[in-house]
Amino acid sequence: MTPSAFAVPIENYIGLSAVIFFLGVTGVIVRRNPLIMLMSIELMFNAANLALITFAKAWVNAAGHIFAFLVITVAAAEAAIGLAIVVVVFRRAAHVDVDEIATLHG
Amino acid sequence: MSPPIPYVNSADLHALLPTTVIAAAGLLALVVDLFMSAGRARRWIAVAIAAAGLVIAGVLTAQQYGHSYPAFGGAYMQGGFAVVLGEIAIFATLVSLGLGIGIGRDDQVAGTTAIVLWSTCGALLMAGAGNLMMIFLGLELLSLGLYCLCAMSVRSAARESGLKYLLLSSMASGFLLYGMALLFGGTGSVALAAISAAPPSPLIALGAGLFLVGIAFKLSLVPFHSWTPDVYEGAPLSVTAYMSVVTKAGALGVLGRFAYAALPPATANAILLPVWTVAAISMIVGNLAALQQIDMKRLLAYSGIGQVGYIVAAFAGQTPLGLRYAIFYLAAYTFMNLGAFAVVALMLKDADGSLGVGAFAGLAYRRPWLAAAMTFFLLSLAGLPPTAGFTGKILILASSVGAGYWWLSVLLIAGTAISVYVYFKIVRAMFVRVDEAHVRAERSTNPLPWISIAVCAAAVFVLGIYPLAPSDIIPLAK
Amino acid sequence: MTPYGPVAIYLAVALAAALLFTVLPGLMAQRKPNAVKSEAYECGVEPTSDVSGRFPVRFYLIAMLFVVFDVEAASFYPWAVQMHQLRVFGLLEMIVFVIVLGIGYAYVWKRGGFQWR
Repeated sequence: MTPSAFAVPIENYIGLSAVIFFLGVTGVIVRRNPLIMLMSIELMFNAANLALITFAKAWVNAAGHIFAFLVITVAAAEAAIGLAIVVVVFRRAAHVDVDEIATLHG
Repeated sequence: MSPPIPYVNSADLHALLPTTVIAAAGLLALVVDLFMSAGRARRWIAVAIAAAGLVIAGVLTAQQYGHSYPAFGGAYMQGGFAVVLGEIAIFATLVSLGLGIGIGRDDQVAGTTAIVLWSTCGALLMAGAGNLMMIFLGLELLSLGLYCLCAMSVRSAARESGLKYLLLSSMASGFLLYGMALLFGGTGSVALAAISAAPPSPLIALGAGLFLVGIAFKLSLVPFHSWTPDVYEGAPLSVTAYMSVVTKAGALGVLGRFAYAALPPATANAILLPVWTVAAISMIVGNLAALQQIDMKRLLAYSGIGQVGYIVAAFAGQTPLGLRYAIFYLAAYTFMNLGAFAVVALMLKDADGSLGVGAFAGLAYRRPWLAAAMTFFLLSLAGLPPTAGFTGKILILASSVGAGYWWLSVLLIAGTAISVYVYFKIVRAMFVRVDEAHVRAERSTNPLPWISIAVCAAAVFVLGIYPLAPSDIIPLAK
Repeated sequence: MTPYGPVAIYLAVALAAALLFTVLPGLMAQRKPNAVKSEAYECGVEPTSDVSGRFPVRFYLIAMLFVVFDVEAASFYPWAVQMHQLRVFGLLEMIVFVIVLGIGYAYVWKRGGFQWR
């Protein structure tokens, strides 16, 4: 490890990432709004991203950077599916009814 | 000028060929569906494309048996137990798609079929994953598909269970991912093999702990199991059957490789002891909770929690024999569990509904063949001869006693004793005489579950008589 | 400059930009209100509550599709950086990636995902 590569000590990065991670965990456990819970999960993912990139720089290993890229893509897919399910759950009318309305409209 | 591309050659691509075929079949099903007019033919064509892809992938996977090769610089371990777990996942996918000829309405089937196939790809990647990135990719590919499938139902309770699964499972993924980040920080490499080579450090211990919490959640071991019954009950039956096997195949592959190949021998026992403890609790609590269930899907969910406890217990002590027997028991569980699900599918009026234990009353007189098949699968789930469940449990007992984990063996026997009572509740119901006037009409026109039942029953019987525990399941080709 | 100097500058710039974009339009826009313009409708009743804050479901669907396709585009960057080293293999991989993405796009299109109904 080459500490000199970091202007800010590595402990601070990891400390920040740990704080973000626990904020995320607390958010998922404490909040009851599904959208905010989804945001908290994103927070957990991004805390891991910060840790991955810090360690990637510390070890001079590009795998951490690639991993972070992968996590970003996966987190986006997760957010999209989460949003879709939230919409489906909180839509008032049942799906069948909406289809019937559309058929009559056409 | 530039050097040839590292890591990628035709052998690497060949290792991923089964996964590629399945993924391509999913894409093909989607594209073909775009040119189809509405109608029932749409269902059959999507499922037929999926089945063709799965069968080809199954043959290709079988050809990899005995040919261990670390593809993509060790990211994907071809051969070893990945072959057996892959075949299990592929078989379970075929059966699940057959239970209701696809999932959802006619116009949804192509989409759901594609999602199921891609989830299976995720399970295959997990089973062969040799580094943390591949584990995460496979796990998320599997989970993201399952979130969609669980929310497919038209019932609002089922959609809520899908949301619950999404939130809790994503949180587990977050734990797992943060654990991976810490493991990467402790070793400086994403390869699983690097963990055992690195000097022990608090980072590695903490990372391994978080990682195992995530895996325990995906396996629904007991303190992390609360989502399982709700999601199993809410999801369409085909999805429940699919989840009950494919997630276990993928997650057990990851846990097996992690326990056997990734952890340094010096600290492995300390890190893994909580896992064995959790497995022991699962055997007891899962079966105790199953006692109180009156809904078939919930009962099978809790029974699955107990069964996965047995399988994880076989890993204790990390003996090579334990790994073989764990995989054998998973195969046995696949057949008996899918068989039971196929029976439930034949008794359901619509794929979305639920089935109470009471629906089995008098089944032995109405539909003797169905009752006989169900009795056989329940015997196997309870671990009584002459079935694969019995043989598998004896083998697990032998390996855990051999590894010095006598307390696990005692708890396994206790869990089995409880489970006998659970399963015989259903068997007894089938032989109760009831007034025919009170029986709900239950007729399915789909012949595919019958084929599944026949195949599963034959496999449970054969594996019970002749335990084919594959010897060539080296955890990690170094 | 201390190690945290760049962070402080970054925060200051972000804050300033955000303030600028929220305050400036209000200051710069020309306003000539009169009685007719201030009415909610030329005819009909006055709104009884704030109508903003609820989005139609279609909005979430479009947002979802945007998130997915937007982030997929990020996968092009690593390839673009290493394009010359990866040569034909990288190109083929990216073509496969684009085809898969294109099938998804075509599916959404054909199923009416882009129609604002």
